Amino acid sequence: MDPRPVEQWELETAQRQERRRQLRGTLGSFAEIAVALVIGLGVGAVVMRVAGYDWLLAYEGLVMGSFGDLWAVADTLASATPLILTGLVFGLSARAGYFNIGAQGQMVIGALAAVAVGAHISGPPVVAVTVTFLAAGVAGAIWALPPALLKATRGVHEVISTIMFNWIAHYTALYLVFNLLNDPRSAERSLRVVPEARLGALIPGADMTAAIFVAAGVALGIYWLLWHSPWGYEMRIAGLNPSALRYAGANPLWSVNLTFILAGLAAGIAGASQVIGRPPTYALYGDLSNLGDLGFDGIAVALIGRNHPIGIILAAVFIGALGAGARMMQIMANVPLDMVRIVHGTVIIALAAPEAWSLLGKLLGLNRRRGQSAAAAPAKALPQ
Amino acid sequence: MPDRSAPRAGAAAAGGKAVSVLGGAEPWLEMRGITKVYPNGTRALENVDLVVAKGEIHGLLGENGAGKSTLMKILSGILPLTAGRIRLGGRDISLRTTHDALAHGIGMVHQHFSLVPTFTALDNILLGRGALLSSPNRAQARARVQRLMDETGLYAPLDVPVEQLPVGTQQRIEILKTLDREVDLLILDEPTAVLTPQETDQLFQVLRALAARGTTIILITHKLQEILALTHAVTVLRNGRVVGTRLTAGATAADLARMMVGAERLPDVKQRQPHAAAQPVLRVAGITVKDDSGQDAVKNVSFEIYTGEIFAIAGVTGNGQTELVEALTGLRPIASGRAYLLGESINGKSPRQLYRMGLAHVPEDRHRLGMVAQLSVLENSILGIHHERRFRRRLPGTLHWGKVRRHARYLVERFQVLTPSLSTPMRSLSGGNQQKLVVGRELSKSPSLVVAGQPTRGLDVAASAAIRDLLMDIRNEGQAVLLVSADLDETLALADRVAVMYEGEILAVLERDQFDRERIGLLMGGVRDGSAAG
Repeated sequence: MDPRPVEQWELETAQRQERRRQLRGTLGSFAEIAVALVIGLGVGAVVMRVAGYDWLLAYEGLVMGSFGDLWAVADTLASATPLILTGLVFGLSARAGYFNIGAQGQMVIGALAAVAVGAHISGPPVVAVTVTFLAAGVAGAIWALPPALLKATRGVHEVISTIMFNWIAHYTALYLVFNLLNDPRSAERSLRVVPEARLGALIPGADMTAAIFVAAGVALGIYWLLWHSPWGYEMRIAGLNPSALRYAGANPLWSVNLTFILAGLAAGIAGASQVIGRPPTYALYGDLSNLGDLGFDGIAVALIGRNHPIGIILAAVFIGALGAGARMMQIMANVPLDMVRIVHGTVIIALAAPEAWSLLGKLLGLNRRRGQSAAAAPAKALPQ
Repeated sequence: MPDRSAPRAGAAAAGGKAVSVLGGAEPWLEMRGITKVYPNGTRALENVDLVVAKGEIHGLLGENGAGKSTLMKILSGILPLTAGRIRLGGRDISLRTTHDALAHGIGMVHQHFSLVPTFTALDNILLGRGALLSSPNRAQARARVQRLMDETGLYAPLDVPVEQLPVGTQQRIEILKTLDREVDLLILDEPTAVLTPQETDQLFQVLRALAARGTTIILITHKLQEILALTHAVTVLRNGRVVGTRLTAGATAADLARMMVGAERLPDVKQRQPHAAAQPVLRVAGITVKDDSGQDAVKNVSFEIYTGEIFAIAGVTGNGQTELVEALTGLRPIASGRAYLLGESINGKSPRQLYRMGLAHVPEDRHRLGMVAQLSVLENSILGIHHERRFRRRLPGTLHWGKVRRHARYLVERFQVLTPSLSTPMRSLSGGNQQKLVVGRELSKSPSLVVAGQPTRGLDVAASAAIRDLLMDIRNEGQAVLLVSADLDETLALADRVAVMYEGEILAVLERDQFDRERIGLLMGGVRDGSAAG
């Protein structure tokens, strides 16, 4: 006897239920984004109103400055370029179950490598640019490796180790920019990369370069990896149910390392994009100001993009737009930059809140379970 | 219920001991008509009565899921009851929290200790009592604990971090901690599970002394010898109901085993087909496996499984079955001994290597191991076989979702999994349909040996029957099955041979014509010479 056959009516009932569930889910996520936008922009409007600024004009400026014309769009995409990459760092790691906040440090190391290689390379532009990007990516990946190994072998929590490595990277960069990589003719910054290794503006007068295609390519590559390769399949399982990964015959150590390496690669390329792909400097400032906090901004991008590569591209463009529109907000409505940042902050928090909340719950839940298994199995606990 | 009144009459005739209610002592704790229904509708306890006298050691005996722990969690204020009442010393009491229970002098020592490993014994005993830091109180408290140790004979070094102490000592600290809260009704949940025989003897001496001083003790256990050695009376639970209460004096292990396992209700299974010459598939030679805390969970176990048979392991859960299965499926190292699958050693092999050698594993904990609840039916259909070439595109390292889809559709149709679509998340399926997919996926590996842990746990009748039929099919087709089930009826219906596991050892392997519930019940309760005792 075979298992009792599934009756047609059972199947139809189940399918009806699922359609309803899916519809509710889709509507729910759209409603979530709409409500978040309304709340964020609304609070921003109230803040500007109370401070005595014309909020409507300010928002008009925001739209004009980010999508008003071709140059505005190009500026938006230029700001989005590094954010796509640093967003992927956090998003990919979160998919695999890790709270990787090392994008900043890996990006800094990537930028250093871009300067070191790009300033000394010679050859046709295609080769010079490719080699510089690769060098930065590899440097970022190498920087990501110690936290990964510490986690896989000694159980050191990635939040602690990546923060430490961020600081090590920061001070290493300060030292190198003022010493080994310093430009003697312009001591406030590093050497500039050779002209062959520079990406020029695609639209004269705007900052956008071909680096946006590199970033989008990395995002699509990670999308392919996660959903179309067995390794990505394992990485997603590592994030959802690490015990099942072991049952499935895969090695969780390998998954941790692969995730961190790929994330580091993306972060390193983000660093390079700011050195060779952002006119007009083509160098690293002594205060690292052309890197800013892009690594940490990536966390917000990933949260808004729900840790999905395509969502991250959209979220990065959105946050890029906020950045690009800031100038017009100041010019058109006289809103001071600090006020603009407050408004941006409320919008970003409102959009990122749902994902941040669920991720936090998952992290705390995971830690509780990890803690228990660690207490029960001192040495042999899963690295996850 | 079969025999509620009979043992009372028997006890009265025997004269009994005045320490038990059955022997004529005054009832002190009375739990009457206790019913517990969980929010999901599970009826864990049905109209249970438990009456205990002051200073009595009362055993609570039963298989897994019989309701022993639930009943005691109600008594210690951890779980609320659905219906029934509790009287203590003639007064109705209400136990909403563990604080209520402690205020009435009721304390429970759990199987898993709740000690802070880095704290000393004294700190652990005083934890939550406000005397941790301030020195005058601390000195007083120390004197009090010292007095308690002198009175009870429960000695433990007070100033050593408990993680450095042996398990038996940790348990003494756990008991001291409870007694220090002026507890006179002490509940112990499987206290000897982690102890060596010497530690067990010491514990029993202490418990007897405590009872002699007037402390009432309720002992949860499934070990028949402990009931006989220690208790004055015993209440046996099965499926959430009281089978009976009787005086221990005069009861035999066979009586208790019969009460514990009950009468047969074998499920119907498919026809068992005879086989010709059987070849060994799995040979296990003296393997020892450690549990998470580093203790031997499986001790020097040997057996063989042949083609065309279902080899079942019976036993109360927690006697090493889980660790044995994990060791044989590559999820846990084999500490010593060897095991061979089709003549090839499996020591040190990874799960993936074992799959390649012909092993399939239907895990006991479906949700933790066998599936990823958030992923779709499609994605779950290749868990563990996702690296195989048949699901790849020619482009290196690319999954061919079209081929995976064909595989998933085959599983859904062949095993009649009710799912709205292949992209439905696994967690939206009912337990039975989840399990059908997991079993189907494992069988699709065309294995030589299927290891199935609790394959029908939590499933409805129809789904359970379907799973059992599939296991019987595999056997009839000539493959080997290792079945681990806590359901004795299922085990006896399916198995060709049954090994009874107790405290990490296989006490006996019985052929089908030797299946005898009472003997298996005795073996499950740790009585080695089953046939003689019956």
